Amino acid sequence: MVNTRKQRRASRRSRNAGKALAIRAWARRHGYSFFSSLGALVRSPLGTMMTVVVLGIALALPLGLWVGLKNIQQVNPATEDFSSISVFLNSGTDTVAATQLAAAIQNWPEVDKVTSLSPEDALTDFRENSGFAAAVDALTENPLPWVLEIQLLEAAVGTAAESKTQFKQQLDKLLIRLQELPGVEFAQYDLKWLERLHALMDLGTSIGRLLALLFGFAVIFVVGNTIRLDIHNRKEEIEVMSLVGATEAFIRRPFLYTGFWYGLFGGMVAVILVSISLALIRSPLDRLLLSYQSEFELITPGFSGSLLVLLTGGVLGLLGAALAVRRHLQNLNPT
Amino acid sequence: MIRFERVSKRYPGSVMALSDVSFHLEAGEMAFLTGHSGAGKSTLLKLIALLERPSGGQVFLDGRNLAKVSRRQLPVLRRKVGVIFQDHKLLSDKTVFDNVALPLIIAGVRYQEIQKRVSAALDQVDLLRKIKTMPLALSGGEQQRVGIARAIISHPPVLLADEPTGNLDPDLSADLMTLFCRLNELGTTVLIASHDIALIEQLNRRVLVLEHGGMSRVEMSRSG
Repeated sequence: MVNTRKQRRASRRSRNAGKALAIRAWARRHGYSFFSSLGALVRSPLGTMMTVVVLGIALALPLGLWVGLKNIQQVNPATEDFSSISVFLNSGTDTVAATQLAAAIQNWPEVDKVTSLSPEDALTDFRENSGFAAAVDALTENPLPWVLEIQLLEAAVGTAAESKTQFKQQLDKLLIRLQELPGVEFAQYDLKWLERLHALMDLGTSIGRLLALLFGFAVIFVVGNTIRLDIHNRKEEIEVMSLVGATEAFIRRPFLYTGFWYGLFGGMVAVILVSISLALIRSPLDRLLLSYQSEFELITPGFSGSLLVLLTGGVLGLLGAALAVRRHLQNLNPT
Repeated sequence: MIRFERVSKRYPGSVMALSDVSFHLEAGEMAFLTGHSGAGKSTLLKLIALLERPSGGQVFLDGRNLAKVSRRQLPVLRRKVGVIFQDHKLLSDKTVFDNVALPLIIAGVRYQEIQKRVSAALDQVDLLRKIKTMPLALSGGEQQRVGIARAIISHPPVLLADEPTGNLDPDLSADLMTLFCRLNELGTTVLIASHDIALIEQLNRRVLVLEHGGMSRVEMSRSG
C-alpha cells in the first residue's frame, strides 16, 4: 500500500519533471526563433530599413492626423468667450442715441454688461493693431459704426457645455430681439467659427478612421509581401529544416516573429516621424492656437500612445506574416 | 526496424522508380543498398525518411506503418532517422556549427548541451577545427562530413546514407566506414546506399541490390 502510493508519487513527480522539461524546450525553441529572426533582420540592414521606413510612413499618417486632431480639440473656448453678442448700429448714429440704446439693453434680464465702442475708438484701435495705419490715415471719413458688445448673464442663458442646442436657441432668440431694435444694423455672435471647427474636426476624425483602416491594410500587405519574398529566398533553409524534423510550427515561427518585428519597428519609425513633425510645426501651431486660447499645451503621442502604436504595428505585422505563411508555407510535406 | 512490403513508387509523369520492393532490416543491423545509378536507391531512402510517400505497398519504421502517420506526427518521426544526403543539404548562410546544431535546436536542447554535442560530433568526423567556417569554404568531402555530423548529432536510431563516400578519398572513406560500424555497434540501424563495391566488400554485411526499380537479390557482401 505504502509502496504503491510512493510509486504513484514518484511517477507524478517524473511526469511533472517531464512537463517542465517540455516547457523549457518549448521556451528555448521560441527564444531561438525570437533571436534568429531579429538577427536575420539585422544582417540585412538596408532591406530591413526600407521596409521599416515604408511601414513607418504608412503608420505615421493616421497617427499624425490623430495627434493633430487631439491638439485642435483643445480649442474649446470657455462660455464667456462666445456668450457675447456684437450689435452693430446704423452708420450715422450719434453718441446720445448709442448711449441710450446701450442703457436700454443693459436693463434686459439676460444681459450682464454692455460695452459701447465708438467709431473713433474702434478706428484708433484698428489703426494701432491692424498694421494698416497708412490706409486708415488715407480715409476721409470713418467707415466704422457704433458697436455695442453685450456680455450675457450665464445664469440666464445657460452655458454651451450644458446643452449646446438649447444654448444656441437662446442666443438666436436674443439675436432676433436685438436686430428688431431701432437703429440696429445687425447683431451677431461668434459661435459660427466654433461650429465650423467642430464640423471640420468631425470630418477629420472620420477621415482619420478611414486612413487608419486603409493604412492598416497597407501595413498587413507590405509585411505579407516582404515575408513572402523572405520565404521564397529561404526555400533551401525551410526544406533542410523540414528534412531534419522541424515541425511546421517551428518553421513558421521565425517568419511570424519577423513580421512582428517589422510592424514594431515601423511603429517606432512612425512615432519618431510624428514627434519630429510636431517639433517642426510647434511654434506656428503655438501661435495659431494661442490666438484662440490663452492656455495651450502641445499634445504628443506620449508614452501610452507610442506604446499603442508600436503594438498595433506589431500585431498588423504579425497578421501580414501569418497571411504570407498560410499562403506560402503549405505543402512542406509529401501527401 | 525498417520493413518494406511490396512497395512501389511512381513519380508523376515518369516511369516506376521502385516496383514491388520488399525487405526487412532488423533493429541494429547494418546493410548496404546498391545498384546502378537510377535504380531507385535514393527513392528508397526517401521513403524511409518520410520525404516521399509510396504509390503502393507499405513501409514500416520501428513498427509503425508510415502510411498512417499524420502530418503532425511526421516531424517527430523524422527525427528518428538521420539522413546523410548525397548533395549534403547544408545551409550556405550558416556556419558549420549552426548547421550541425540544427536538429538539436529544433528539439529545443539547452545551448550548453548543444555546444558540447556539436563539438563531439564534429570531432568524430575530424572537422572540429572548421567549426566556425561557412560550408561553401569547405571542400566537397568536408561538406559531406558536416552533413554526417548533423545526421548523427541527435543519436537517431536509424541512419540512412546516400552515397556517403562519393566525394571522399579512400582513407577518409575507410574512416567513415569505421565510424558507421561504431555507431552500428552502439545500436544504430544503418543503411548505406553506395556503388562503391570495393568498400562494400570489405565488410561482411547484407547487401540489397536494386535493378531497374526492383529488388533483384539480397546477398552477403563477402560470400563464405
